[in-house]
Amino acid sequence: MARVHLPSGLTRHTGGVETVDVDAARVPDLIAALRDLFPQIADRLEEMAVAIDGEIYADPGYQPLRADSEVHLVPRIAGG
Amino acid sequence: MTAPRDFKYVGTRPIRHDGVDKVTGRASYGADAAWPGMLHGFVLRSPHAHARIVSIDTGAAEAVPGVHAVITGKDLPETTATIALGEAAIDLRDIGDNVLAKTKTLYHGHAVAAVAATTIDIAREAAAAIEVVYDVLEPVTGIDRALGAGAPILHPALVTKGAAGPDAGGPTNIASRMELKRGDVDAGFAEADLVVEREFRTPMVHQGYIEPHACIARCGEDGRAVVWCTTQGPFVVRDACAAIVGLDPANVKVVPSEIGGGFGGKIVVYLEPLALALARKARRPVKIVMGRDDVFRATGPTSGSKVRVKLGAKRDGTIVAASASLWYEAGAYAGSPVGAGAMCMLAAYKVPNFFIEAYDVVVNKPKVAAYRAPGSPIAAFAVESVVDEIARELKIDPIELRLMNANAEGDRAPYGPKYGPIGLAQILEAARAHPHWRAPLGANQGRGFAVGFWFNAGMNSSATVTLNSDGSAAVVTGNPDIGGTRAAQAMMAAEELGIPVERVRSNVGDTDGSGFTDVTGGSRVCYATGMAVIRAAEDAREQLRARAATIWNVSKDAVGWENGRAIPPAGTEKASPMTVAELTAKMTQTGGPIVGRASLYAPMAGPAFGAHICDLEVDPETGRSRIVRYTAFQDVGKAVHPSYVEGQMQGGVAQGIGWALNEEYIYSADGVMENAGFLDYRMPVASDLPMIETVIVEVANPLHPYGVRGVGEVPIVPPLAAVANAMRDATGIRFTELPLSPPRVLEAIEAAAAVPVEA
Amino acid sequence: MVAIRYETPRSVSEAVRLMAADPGARVLAGGTDLLVQFRTGVRQPSAFVDIKRIPELMSIAIDAHGLRLGAATPAAVIGEHAELRRLWPGLAESVRLIGSTQIQGRGSVGGNLCNASPAADTTCALIVNRAECVIAGPNGERTVPVEAFSIAPGRTVLQPGELLVAIRVPRPAARTSDAYLRLIPRTEMDIAVAGAAASVTLDAAGLCTTARVAIGAVAPTALRVPAAEQALVGSRLDEASLKRAADAASAAARPIDDKRGTTAYRRTVAGVLTRRAAAIAAARAREQGSHP
Repeated sequence: MARVHLPSGLTRHTGGVETVDVDAARVPDLIAALRDLFPQIADRLEEMAVAIDGEIYADPGYQPLRADSEVHLVPRIAGG
Repeated sequence: MTAPRDFKYVGTRPIRHDGVDKVTGRASYGADAAWPGMLHGFVLRSPHAHARIVSIDTGAAEAVPGVHAVITGKDLPETTATIALGEAAIDLRDIGDNVLAKTKTLYHGHAVAAVAATTIDIAREAAAAIEVVYDVLEPVTGIDRALGAGAPILHPALVTKGAAGPDAGGPTNIASRMELKRGDVDAGFAEADLVVEREFRTPMVHQGYIEPHACIARCGEDGRAVVWCTTQGPFVVRDACAAIVGLDPANVKVVPSEIGGGFGGKIVVYLEPLALALARKARRPVKIVMGRDDVFRATGPTSGSKVRVKLGAKRDGTIVAASASLWYEAGAYAGSPVGAGAMCMLAAYKVPNFFIEAYDVVVNKPKVAAYRAPGSPIAAFAVESVVDEIARELKIDPIELRLMNANAEGDRAPYGPKYGPIGLAQILEAARAHPHWRAPLGANQGRGFAVGFWFNAGMNSSATVTLNSDGSAAVVTGNPDIGGTRAAQAMMAAEELGIPVERVRSNVGDTDGSGFTDVTGGSRVCYATGMAVIRAAEDAREQLRARAATIWNVSKDAVGWENGRAIPPAGTEKASPMTVAELTAKMTQTGGPIVGRASLYAPMAGPAFGAHICDLEVDPETGRSRIVRYTAFQDVGKAVHPSYVEGQMQGGVAQGIGWALNEEYIYSADGVMENAGFLDYRMPVASDLPMIETVIVEVANPLHPYGVRGVGEVPIVPPLAAVANAMRDATGIRFTELPLSPPRVLEAIEAAAAVPVEA
Repeated sequence: MVAIRYETPRSVSEAVRLMAADPGARVLAGGTDLLVQFRTGVRQPSAFVDIKRIPELMSIAIDAHGLRLGAATPAAVIGEHAELRRLWPGLAESVRLIGSTQIQGRGSVGGNLCNASPAADTTCALIVNRAECVIAGPNGERTVPVEAFSIAPGRTVLQPGELLVAIRVPRPAARTSDAYLRLIPRTEMDIAVAGAAASVTLDAAGLCTTARVAIGAVAPTALRVPAAEQALVGSRLDEASLKRAADAASAAARPIDDKRGTTAYRRTVAGVLTRRAAAIAAARAREQGSHP
């Protein structure tokens, strides 16, 4: 199960839940699972970058997840 | 991660390939192109900071002899598309509206119409004949007005996105709110022996690239278009222009010129869609070049800000709690870098309890664009000033205090994930050991210290490495070369192929001639595109091994590769090692041309930290200060071309010093920018700065085969605070508002002298 | 579209004729102000009368009476003139502060005066050196003291058809020297937020017998400050008298608040610079005294 850390800005829509364990092989499965769990934040999920085990992907695509992956949803950053 | 490797070219300092063209004036920049039948475009801009456009009559302008086309907002289609711009999706409706106002003008200098004529004088004269009727509205000139009671509203439909606070609900000028938290912030402050809270303000500042925006565009009857322009992202220009003007992106080719600085400000489009729309209407090429005043008024800047920071520390220096509120001006449309500021501000420190809220605020000023580590310098100014206060109060050496609280590999970044290998402790130790830190100070001098952080981007990159029959190679990528990346890419290709770096020609392709590549920005090119070049060179090398196998009639797997030569398997008759040139001489006989290629999507480039020591001297009678010594330390992962790494560090420092000391947008009460030129927008000139010393620290980035990290943005983060901390040391006064211009400094010195010093 | 004439007179009389014939014509010396104003649309002359081909406007002559400086002589030429720098170090300083190396190759003292900016660097240094403007016009030549040449920002006493041809500066008396200081936030490529010049003459015993003080960028035109001069005359130019001069200069300043500085700031700095400039001028004059 990948452990997903939700950003604090979203936790008011998740009933205060800050972390959730999700059984997902790849990022799209993980996002789908989160949509099911927290429909209120579905549209916000699209705007987030995803950090998988410390590596941040602005667009995570179909990145694979390990059984013990640590996943953070992170706001996207613009560089100069 | 690869084992430490002995490099032949990486880490050396060859002369840059584009150097001679640049110093002789042969290099072609945005304004240097001229095409047959070309017309000149002129953009009419709003004299009002906030107004409703009642009507625009272009009849008189169209009647001026020599005028071929006039466009207004009505000539551009409505679009609601978003495209990936840089590292974030952008709303093209906002960009289209920013390029040419449709119903409202939202800042002084907002484009309202454009004219193409046979000469620039005719175009200017015709623009003056355009009759625009405005309903002038009260402008929102800053954060306090934007948030105040009864504030004029820029966008009636705007609602606060994100984690809305208690003051949410429209109509509003707050475009978004974000928060970050960890632990129990109240409990953390309760545990603290010392709590310091300050509020900071910084003005809007411009990137100040020397080359103004410029482009030339043509568009045929068949809808096929070509745009030549100065840009950091030709593919962004292609996609944005197509959407804004209403063309098929497949029909638009964008050719990037040489670029005279960008710093993030040349990622977005301004003139290109106007030139294209005029060219389509006039059926002639149209060239538009901005004047410096328009560059200031209508492009670029980064946010003005208000930041409140509170830190709590134990007597021993351990930081136990932090809270912060950030308000950044987005300019006329949503999208300030406040989120990045919030995420960066505590990146250096292990803080168990924090709460940060960040507001994106629209105001009647130009729409902000990315500027070198967008959002981070403003936040670092606030936090690093307060950390300096804590060090003073607790009488702990400022570097020691930071080392005590420094994040290391395995610690959690404030935005969540755990850090991989980072060089924060290493740069702090390098700074502490440096002679500068112990050097004596003269009269009226002070020393400041600050650190800074930036994420560094990854994203899409493509590269090809084409081998020539003489054994030379040509590299093509889609990244305009701002900071010496062509040289770095040539070095990486040379390293992989084992040919001299002078035998590699490094090129910037156009959108048809290179694989898709994201912008030159986010400190990503040497890292991500460099990685694509390495892989493309490896691909070419593998093809060379296969050719050797053909010549020797052995299997490819049996062919070795050493020092730029294919090595035959032991016992192969009459075969001796073959160089790249010997192999490429036989390309035709062994299967035809060799092109190595690679495309990739890279994760973010490995976060990086910089630490700066600044010595400043102030004239106590005039408040005028000068920087007398400055040393920058930075973890760069691996310096491919150390001279350009040092140049990036020095450039970032120079811009940061300008931001700290004198740069600011000055607005009148009715929102008119009063200093739209380099005379009164005071960027540093060369003689203002000492030689900026650089210390490169290399903690390899495991995501890159050579260990490269992003370099270009980090060095602009610490200077604002380093300079302000030096000013505190020199004067005893904590300045919380930039710039530290002579009048502001003298006023504070006089005020301090008038009040008895507190015990 | 407007056509603009470009004229290159070879003599002062030809230049005067051209200027008198066309009220819209503007004199072009180095062009470092005029061409910028033209490009930004502030000025739209009907003709540029380029005076750089008139030899007497491009010359420096120093004799027993003093200096005659051709109005269009580039700053760089002035800055390299050893005798001028020896006799009027403060004036030479004020010329060499203008703009940048590139600007120095074109910009001239005459242009600096005719542009009539209250912040012009040379004006104060010329005033304290008793300089006069030599003006040629349809009715012949006249002279005007530099302090009376500019009458408001951007405006001078020049009448239609007139042009500034030279600046005359009398030779300084023994044990006399000058200095000019300005404050800019940067080190070059900037405009004075405040400026001050001083010229002092000492007697053999080191007492100040004559003093001239002028301040710039703190009023619509550069100001002579008689009260500051009185504070210096009769003193040994010690700290107390310098302080009185500084206070007088601050009191005389009538600055505006604008993007370049506040009223209070300019007033204070005008005093500080006056004190420092007078101290430098005094040191230079004493130096002359020790090496007659």
